[in-house]
Amino acid sequence: MGARDTTIPEVLRGTLDLLILQALSWGPAHGYAVARWIENATGDALAIGEGTLYPALHRLEERGWVAASWGASENNRQAKFYSLTRRGRAQRRVEADEWRRYAAAIFAALEAPALK
Amino acid sequence: MPRWTRFRRLFGLEPAADVDAELHFHVEMRVRELIECGETPERARLLALQRFGDYEQARIECVAINERRKRDMQRTEFITELRQDIGYAFRMLRRTPAFTLAALLTLALGIGANSAIFSVVHGVLLESLPYRDAERLHHLQMLYPDGTRYSALSAPDFMSLRQDTQVFEQIEAFGIQTFSLTGHGEPLEIEGGQVTVGLFDLLGFEIPIGRGFNADENRPGSGGVTVLGHGFWQRTFGGDRNVVGRTLILSGRPYTVIGVLAEGAQLPNAVDLYAPLEFTASFDANTAQGRRGEFLAALARARAGASTEQIDADLRRIGSELQTRFQQTNAALTFTSMPLQTMIVGDVRRPLLVLLGAVGFVLLVACANVANLLLARGSARQGELAVRSALGAGRPRLVRQLITEAMVLGLAGGVLGLGLAYLGTGALIAARPADLPRLDEIGLDRTVVFFTLGAALITGLVFGMVPALQATNEHLLRGLQESSRAGAGGRRTHRLRSALVVAEMALAVILLTGSGLLIRSFIELTRVNPGFQPEGAIAVRVTLQGELYKNGDQVRNRVAEIEDRLRGLPGVVAVGTGSILPLGGLGALNDFAVQGAPPPPPDVNAEIAVASVTPDYFKAIGTPLQRGRLFTNLDHAKSPPVALLNEAAVRRWFPKEDPIGKNVLSGGPREVVGIVRDVLQRNPGQPAAPQMFLPYTQRTNRTIRFILRAQGDALALAPAVRDQIRTLDPNLPLADVVPLQEMVARSIARPRFYTSLLTLFAAVALALSATGIFGVMSYTVAQQSKEIGIRIALGAKTTDVLRGVVGRALALAGIGVGVGLITALALGRVIRNQLFGVDVFDPVTVVGVIAVLITSAALASLLPARRAATIDPIAAFRQT
Repeated sequence: MGARDTTIPEVLRGTLDLLILQALSWGPAHGYAVARWIENATGDALAIGEGTLYPALHRLEERGWVAASWGASENNRQAKFYSLTRRGRAQRRVEADEWRRYAAAIFAALEAPALK
Repeated sequence: MPRWTRFRRLFGLEPAADVDAELHFHVEMRVRELIECGETPERARLLALQRFGDYEQARIECVAINERRKRDMQRTEFITELRQDIGYAFRMLRRTPAFTLAALLTLALGIGANSAIFSVVHGVLLESLPYRDAERLHHLQMLYPDGTRYSALSAPDFMSLRQDTQVFEQIEAFGIQTFSLTGHGEPLEIEGGQVTVGLFDLLGFEIPIGRGFNADENRPGSGGVTVLGHGFWQRTFGGDRNVVGRTLILSGRPYTVIGVLAEGAQLPNAVDLYAPLEFTASFDANTAQGRRGEFLAALARARAGASTEQIDADLRRIGSELQTRFQQTNAALTFTSMPLQTMIVGDVRRPLLVLLGAVGFVLLVACANVANLLLARGSARQGELAVRSALGAGRPRLVRQLITEAMVLGLAGGVLGLGLAYLGTGALIAARPADLPRLDEIGLDRTVVFFTLGAALITGLVFGMVPALQATNEHLLRGLQESSRAGAGGRRTHRLRSALVVAEMALAVILLTGSGLLIRSFIELTRVNPGFQPEGAIAVRVTLQGELYKNGDQVRNRVAEIEDRLRGLPGVVAVGTGSILPLGGLGALNDFAVQGAPPPPPDVNAEIAVASVTPDYFKAIGTPLQRGRLFTNLDHAKSPPVALLNEAAVRRWFPKEDPIGKNVLSGGPREVVGIVRDVLQRNPGQPAAPQMFLPYTQRTNRTIRFILRAQGDALALAPAVRDQIRTLDPNLPLADVVPLQEMVARSIARPRFYTSLLTLFAAVALALSATGIFGVMSYTVAQQSKEIGIRIALGAKTTDVLRGVVGRALALAGIGVGVGLITALALGRVIRNQLFGVDVFDPVTVVGVIAVLITSAALASLLPARRAATIDPIAAFRQT
């Protein structure tokens, strides 16, 4: 377990779930597509340790936030496609709002004037 | 249904394969992309894996998550389906109330009977005795050279065993003595246990009120204290806790109450109160005095881990040491032991297990019957199952649904059965099957409830399995398209139902044979001539002890006075007194020899039952003198010693000569003056043992029975008898007045109990299997109504049709009888030693069983046959 933790940039540890939910918010996708999206969207935050994506996906599935089904990929291979469930959609909104508030607070703090 | 179960089919059987496919796909996609960017395949692969990170770790985690999900899903799915199945089962059962009622009644009967008998077996046989370390407690016994045992020890032998044993941690003993309790309301006769002071500790008895006996209270002269049994304390003192310190007058001697035992603390013998055994001079391991006066019941706790062989070796070693040391008294005698549990319940073990087996057969018959009902209903449900199968329900799923239905039925039957068992157990205990030990420990406790519910579930499985497999048979499920009423499946079901009926019949035959043999034995037992005339005679027991009866003369005078008074009652024909009653046991045993005859070989047990009687004893019990003379008033304490022998004694010791006028040795020499007819001593199943009678004046004992023969209703004299005795001594406790006929009834109470129960079971099995035959024949007639219609249209006579149906039933019954009889005869040995006067291969029983079974099969098929005979050919054609 410890090995996995070191492969994820510290800041992303709690946010991988949110990134996945965000990736799926535009429609069903297989794991590789999710990885590519994160790669592009975050400036390759998962550069080493893409593998951690899959336990995270499966855990989300277990919680009922995403659903999975096997289907044909763009190159016509069997791939496991994930999509958000209704609960997953709600969860994405909640987590995104939380992050925005958190980030805004940190940002505001960073911009704040010095102590008097 | 949770929404994700929708996706359950997306899971392969193997989550690992799914995960592998998914991860491979990822790596492959990355490799392809890198190659498109110009990397060599080898390097692309390396880079892809590098990006992926710890592949194995990810895989393990994913597989673990998925396996967990799969398990959770399966469990939820199982529970959901089970709930559905159970709900469905209840709806089905409600929809067919006649079927449900028939099945439930059958099951409740079968399961209830099993629980009731099991509760008896559990209470009597399985549960350990209510003593501390009960499994290590043994009862020490004398062992004679001819292999017979005697259950009492003498005081010196007891002390020797106690001193020399190496396998027993503790040996304690008690004797039973009858006391009269006076000065506390009506004089009472009570049973007292005279115990060694360590007995309560050995058995783990608690003394919640007061104290137990002190270590020195077995010393002569130190007694005068008593501990009350819980039951006696409740009955006689109303549970008064202030009873400690009070003085009770027992047989004229004062005893101070020092304590009360806890509830349930009880010796194997029913005892009212306890006093310390007085260690007289014979309680000495080194004395020869009193070694052949056995009166102690000795209980011992073996060391943990001691084997039966070690125990036996230890006892035999002590036995042979005593043989050498005390040749006069202990020659050829040694000791043995028996686990206390065996000692208490040994006699009833086999019969109870036989009953349990028999009632198990009844349950099997009930199962077969319900299975038959289910099969009949199964054909009605074929359409429904075919639809469900077509909609994708697999065979295991359908089987599970049908078995769930059966188990719901079984459990419902079990719950009803528990109710029946509650009533049944109450009735069994109320019947007080004579001397069945440990009756108080029988009850519907948790184990019995578990047994019942377990039996109900297994029952459901057993009777549900065959119909479930049959109904989901491939051929039948395809039957949606075919109209397969008379198809292969129908025929198969029919064969199965016939086989079940044959099995039921066979089981019924086994039970009928068993009960038939027991009934025949019972009749034989009641036919045995008891050697006396029980009608018109009553008896009352009196114990003469206390201030007024210090010496033999006082006792003898009082007995004579009472006899005189009773003789004066109206209608009295004869009054006699004896130390024993007919069928009241052997009484005392003494050494016996014929004067001048060579001493018997050492392995022969030369003992005789001895009883004291007054001159009119034999007239009172109605036993004739065969030869010589009876006792008269001229045989008194100071006249020459005389004796009467029974015929068994004459056969044993005087096979060729006339004993009258000969001298026999028992104590001292006595002249045989007469021979009396054998009177049964124990029960009609055991022939009379050799017995010697002595004049009461020459062998006077304190506990005696007055027997009174009267014209008309002897029992009506009971109050007068009590009054007469009371007038002479108001302090004499009087036991109930018993008609001698009750002695006869008591002596056969146990076989009567077993026979009644087994007959009841056989009757239930017979009724169930007759119902089975009825069901199958009705079904056959319904199935073949068209065929029968054609035959009638073609001119078949009513009798032909009747004969056809009844004939089929009889053919089935015939096979059942054959199979059953063979099995019954093979099983016969388990009840062989409960039989009396009949052999296991008793032709009367066999013929009777065949007749009963064939008749009931014929009767059960008569109604369906009549229905067949009245089939209207035209209606039968239209039916399809």
